[in-house]
Amino acid sequence: MTIRPMQEATFLILTALADGSQHGYGIIGEVSDISQGRVRLRAGTLYTALDRLRADGLIDVDREEIVDNRLRRYYRLTPEGGRRLAAEAARLQANARAALQRLNPALGVI
Amino acid sequence: MTDWPPTGESFPISDPASSSARLERAYRRLVACYPRSFRRENTEEIIAVLLATAREDQRRPSLAEAGDLLRGAARMRLGLTSCPRSVLHAVRLMYLGALAELIALVTLLLSVGRVRSATHAAALRAVGPHASHAVTQQLLARVASTVNVTLIVDVSVMSVAIAGWLVLAWANGKGSPLARVGAIVVCAFYAAVTIEGFSEGSTAYAPAALLAASVAVLAIGIAAVTLLLVKQSWPYYAAHATAL
Repeated sequence: MTIRPMQEATFLILTALADGSQHGYGIIGEVSDISQGRVRLRAGTLYTALDRLRADGLIDVDREEIVDNRLRRYYRLTPEGGRRLAAEAARLQANARAALQRLNPALGVI
Repeated sequence: MTDWPPTGESFPISDPASSSARLERAYRRLVACYPRSFRRENTEEIIAVLLATAREDQRRPSLAEAGDLLRGAARMRLGLTSCPRSVLHAVRLMYLGALAELIALVTLLLSVGRVRSATHAAALRAVGPHASHAVTQQLLARVASTVNVTLIVDVSVMSVAIAGWLVLAWANGKGSPLARVGAIVVCAFYAAVTIEGFSEGSTAYAPAALLAASVAVLAIGIAAVTLLLVKQSWPYYAAHATAL
């Protein structure tokens, strides 16, 4: 399967899970933080994305907790999810570096 | 907020508890659109997220929230979130095929008058100016009835095709192995019909847009079937084969 560029929402959700498991609401907060408030995931978008990522084997359910009588499901990155996120991050970094170098050759390698 | 009764314009229309309960009920109605399997596992969680992200004074779901939830529900119901990418693209192509077919149908219906007058003129040319009135009238009537029959057949076939594409898209999204076989059969049949139509000379009267649409539908069908048959698609159908 060819690796296609990831959608930004997908990239941010995986990044939110990169340093530990999170529940749905936690992911929305993390994604907002990572994107400096630019990306505010809506609940429908988040849960369809989570469903999709689980089907693709990039994330999995880590554990479930009951908080205030409500079920809270924690998600974590799978090893495959980690690999895909790392590959995508490297791709974005290479692109960004090339752009910055061409804009300002004196900048050198960032 | 201890002074009671409140004075003047700050008098609340409804108390906060009941308005948040109303908001929750409205969210629940939207989440009810999701497939049962999803709701069983996720309803409480998604409701909690919705309530947590709602504005303090919010009394009903915003249009954007409702749209987002309904879009998610539609995608899940169509099976678009749980199938492999190849099947996902194939299913999208099939919906596109239904749309192209619909455009072809509308184009055909809009051009009925033009087709009638074109065949009428062609028939007149064929009999020539020296034929008797009775012969000319007889031929024109026969041509007109042939055109009518052809149109009725075409419209019926196209309507069935639209319904067929929609059903196949939906069932393939769900991973039905039968639907995959169905898609292959329908695509092969459609290719045969299209090629036969061209060899019969339907290109002479049909408008260019209609021909372009039918070729587009065929191309979409072939692409979709190809995607259904690539390696990544097989495990998805195999997993659903047992549930048949």
